[in-house]
Amino acid sequence: MHLRPRLRHLAVLGLAGLALAAVGATAAQSKPLASQHSLASTILDGTTDTVTNIDPAGNYDEGTSVVDLMMYQHLLGFPNGIAKTPQPELATGCKANGADTVWTCTLKQGVKFSNGDPFTSADVKWSFDRVIKIKDPSGISGLLANLASTTTNGDYSVSFHTKTPDATWPYILTTGAGLIVDSKVYPADKIVPDSDVSSLVGTGPYKLDKFSSGQQAVFSPNPNYTGAKPKNDGVIITYYSKSSTMKLALQQGSIDMAFRDFTATEYGALAKTKGISVYKGAGVSIRYLVFNVKRAPANNLAVRQAVAYLMPRQDIATRIYHGNVQPLYSMVPKGLPGHQDSFAVDYGDSPSVAKAKAVLQKAGVKTPVPLTVWWTPTHYGDSSADEYSEIQRALNSSGLFKVTLKSAEWATYVDTLGKQYTAYQLGWFPDYVDGEDYLLPFYLTGNFTGNAYSSPKMDSILKKEQGSKSTTERLGYIAQAQALAAKDVPIVPVWQGAMLAVGRSNIQGIQQTLDPTYILRFWNLSKS
Amino acid sequence: MGQGSSLKQYALTRLGLIVPMVFILLTIVFLLMRVAPGNPVDAALGGHAPQAEINRITHELGYDKPLYVQYGDYLWNVVRGNFGTTISDRRSVGSIILVNGAATLELTFFAMLVAMTVGVLVGLLAGRFRDSPIDAGGRLFGIVVYATPVFFLGLLAQLVFGVWLGWLPTSDQASPLTQALLQTHTNIFFVDAIIDRNWSALWDVTKHLILPAATLGIVYGGVFIRLIRVNVIRTLKEDYIEAARARGITERHVVYRHAFRNALVPVVTVIGLQLALLLGGAVLTETTFNWPGIGHYLVLYIENRDYAAVQGIIVVFALVVVLVSVLIDFVNAFIDPRVRY
Amino acid sequence: MTTAAVRLQRRTVGLRRALGPIAQARGFARGMLWAGSGLTLLFVVLALFAPVLSPYAFDQYQSNGQRFGQLAHPGHGHILGTTVQSTDVLSRIVWGAQTELEVVGLALAFGLVIGVPLGLVSGYFGGVLDRGAVLFMDAMFAFPPLLLAIIIAFLLGGSVSSGVLVAALAITITYIPQYFRVVRNHVISVREEPYVEAARALGAKPLTILRRYVFFNVVQNVPVIATLNAADAVLTLTALGFIGYGVQPTQGAEWGYDVSRAVSDAASGIWWTGLFPGLAIVLLVTGLTLLGEGLNETINPVLRRRVIRRVDFAAPSLEPSSEILEP
Repeated sequence: MHLRPRLRHLAVLGLAGLALAAVGATAAQSKPLASQHSLASTILDGTTDTVTNIDPAGNYDEGTSVVDLMMYQHLLGFPNGIAKTPQPELATGCKANGADTVWTCTLKQGVKFSNGDPFTSADVKWSFDRVIKIKDPSGISGLLANLASTTTNGDYSVSFHTKTPDATWPYILTTGAGLIVDSKVYPADKIVPDSDVSSLVGTGPYKLDKFSSGQQAVFSPNPNYTGAKPKNDGVIITYYSKSSTMKLALQQGSIDMAFRDFTATEYGALAKTKGISVYKGAGVSIRYLVFNVKRAPANNLAVRQAVAYLMPRQDIATRIYHGNVQPLYSMVPKGLPGHQDSFAVDYGDSPSVAKAKAVLQKAGVKTPVPLTVWWTPTHYGDSSADEYSEIQRALNSSGLFKVTLKSAEWATYVDTLGKQYTAYQLGWFPDYVDGEDYLLPFYLTGNFTGNAYSSPKMDSILKKEQGSKSTTERLGYIAQAQALAAKDVPIVPVWQGAMLAVGRSNIQGIQQTLDPTYILRFWNLSKS
Repeated sequence: MGQGSSLKQYALTRLGLIVPMVFILLTIVFLLMRVAPGNPVDAALGGHAPQAEINRITHELGYDKPLYVQYGDYLWNVVRGNFGTTISDRRSVGSIILVNGAATLELTFFAMLVAMTVGVLVGLLAGRFRDSPIDAGGRLFGIVVYATPVFFLGLLAQLVFGVWLGWLPTSDQASPLTQALLQTHTNIFFVDAIIDRNWSALWDVTKHLILPAATLGIVYGGVFIRLIRVNVIRTLKEDYIEAARARGITERHVVYRHAFRNALVPVVTVIGLQLALLLGGAVLTETTFNWPGIGHYLVLYIENRDYAAVQGIIVVFALVVVLVSVLIDFVNAFIDPRVRY
Repeated sequence: MTTAAVRLQRRTVGLRRALGPIAQARGFARGMLWAGSGLTLLFVVLALFAPVLSPYAFDQYQSNGQRFGQLAHPGHGHILGTTVQSTDVLSRIVWGAQTELEVVGLALAFGLVIGVPLGLVSGYFGGVLDRGAVLFMDAMFAFPPLLLAIIIAFLLGGSVSSGVLVAALAITITYIPQYFRVVRNHVISVREEPYVEAARALGAKPLTILRRYVFFNVVQNVPVIATLNAADAVLTLTALGFIGYGVQPTQGAEWGYDVSRAVSDAASGIWWTGLFPGLAIVLLVTGLTLLGEGLNETINPVLRRRVIRRVDFAAPSLEPSSEILEP
């Protein structure tokens, strides 16, 4: 049997194709979507984020929370933008007992999940219990570390018992750990996989129609939503791995808008493109430089203070990020109640070589001080390379430092920073929008930054803050903590990012949704 | 017959070798991933949760057990066909292979078509007109084109055809709405659109295929040019060609009817050998064009230290390459007894 | 001829025999050799004399206290423009040549030093170890080389500080199977040759046989493969740089990394940050490939075509009246 060569290789390819088709046909088949989606009324959004597990008990990252916030609700949250305190969503209000150890919430009545199941206190207890029970590796259960137990009092009242007095418990309710799921559908001890789209039901404005991991998520309005109907007929989020590809798609009109994240140059170019606008709102993400206070030369306070004197925040903000970030003078960002520009107070709001020199001389430190600064190439954006080059240039040109820059990719970086690095880049995204969430994670003994900072004075200030009885008292402690943080300077804040979104001219409503809550309210956007 | 038994022997030997080869690959991947600093918990929680929390979760997931214990657990699972689920996004490795593997298959299939077309056309001409400017031009073209990094050519293609001319889309398998409405049968969008007789979707998918497949195909076409040219030259030296010429058959007839077909024979072999290369090149193409293929995901999973995902994907990758090469060797051995072991 | 000339001729017999085919190259093969060597030499010169040839350092962003413009158009002061970090594009091309050739040179050296002896030993002695090595190398072949390089770049990135060394080792490991396979196959065919058998019969030790007879015979293949591998290695290195692994920007200029940073510039109309590094890659790889192919055509006995001198019997001189290539 001597097949002709052409036929032979066609046969091989054909066989391979058939084989895969046969195998693929056994894969899950999706139900046909009702063609309610049409170009005219569906918002096409693009993002470079990734989605991990949509089930609220299984994720602790920004990309997935964008999806979750479309499908689920909290008891208390910020449904209409930033407010002084958490506002009612599924609960009408929450009250604490005298000792701040039991918070009781009254629930809204008549709410239904997207599959028709009624919402009751059983669902609330179920949701919180399973987050703790599942203890997902993403670490989301860490947010409920202070929750001892959840109890129900009838169908429309629920109580949270905390282990230690917690004045800010309502803020915890506004985090991803506080999203409510249907007790009749979600298992108590397992995550619902993303492939099981029909089980991912919630009470939010949208329901999930289709999800292809890493490719797209398709949403249509939730018919059982008790709030105001969305101003559009649905949203399709397309996931991109590179911002440059997303930019091209936006320019071509394949997508209508993009939220998270372009490079600084790309934002600049998009702002100049006809038919496209870059919208900017107050942001709450921060970047900072961490020192390991036990390793030389950073173990010397004078060295850390000199770096604080020399930090070129303005240059970074204008040259590297083209004004899309602002200089940050405290780990509590501007716009949050209690923010103080403590670093500007102590070290001035622009670099001063003279003062840095003076502080080093006074401490008898020999200059130039050799310092190795670490950064990571992709996790905090491609501009990290430029940002840290800028910091190196500023420190070196003062003549007081000799900075060597080193980088490691993310997983290696994270594993090694506590063990080896002396000065390193980190960033922070809040769990909840309150000054407390910008102090506890960084300054408590045993904090996640791995910088070995431990100050009994700071610990006591923060403990008092958590147990405060009134807002004024709490803000007072927050101010004290920031002042001490500037004196001890284990961390130097660098910049605070704005909340940016880009849209073509046919999308309205983007500017209004950009605020410190960092929630893009797709349901308030309309397409013309 | 003697021929039958030695063929069977050959087949069995080659098939038998698959198992140890895959086993070696599994072990290599396992060791490399575990020995690299950082684990999946670091990647997911680093910069967000305290070290104590990270350590606790690491312990719970068993990543701090001794290497040989983890290795044993993994092998035991693989033997039972359970490649596990990814850690970062809880997808089963099987579904990744099917869904994203299908995307890569779509891309590499059409890229292979382009590569072969380019290779055959240019290679044939170059071989036929050996030592002429056509030959020199063709070979130079092949060399320069292969020297162009796939990501660079992709970038240029996106700029020229996507941005400046605006003719073609620059990323993804299909436009968002088409993809949302397309029903999944095989996960190969092209085939799915045909199955549904959804012609507008088919056109959309084809438009999205053009740039990535062309970019990848042209670069690897350079390899085929060289191969086909050499084969055409070799074939043209054969005695039977000499005989055909002597019989008075026109040169054109000689080349296209006789030499061409036989020159293509080794191409089949090369497809198998080039598969590993092509899959590697697909990684760059997939990243440039946002194509949701398996190579692209592999890089992402490596970054996240998603052991299960990386191990599973690489093993399946290797299995495919090995199986295809065995299949092709088998076909070759079937045809040509000299090749047998 | 004078005794000195005769002595010189005798001493250089081996060299002339080895280089003979190159002198005999004609046609496209010759063209390739020249063009390839020229291009490669250009980049080698750039690499070796980078400090002298390059207008600025690879990460230099200012001169005489004046900062360079950011993303400046090609023009005065910066012939090829500047990048987003205010570094000069031309300087990064020149210094990049040094990085590329450094890494590739190291990778080749390591690969040869490990792969060739392994192939020799494995091919000559055979047996179980040989079978095992072949199996291992075949398994490595099934690996997409770029992915293997990425994993190894991770593995070493944590412990080895020099990015150049990390990239070189990552590339080495992907090419060892090739050297191994080629050398081993050649050794297997050579070891059955009568002269080797004769040496064995004479009682020569295996190491002596390897050293004297097998090695030089086998090593002829290596330059061609090494050059073609160098071309591939540059592509792998730039691919690593494009994805973000390999030589980090603070350690040296790398063309692939520059292209990856330029991608976001390109769609904004800034073409010089990406076009020039990309062209540099194309030129270097083309040069190396031409060199390798040219060598292949001239040295490889299967492909090489000797010059046939047509002897004109009418005229008494032995000078060739015309030259043609053998078909």
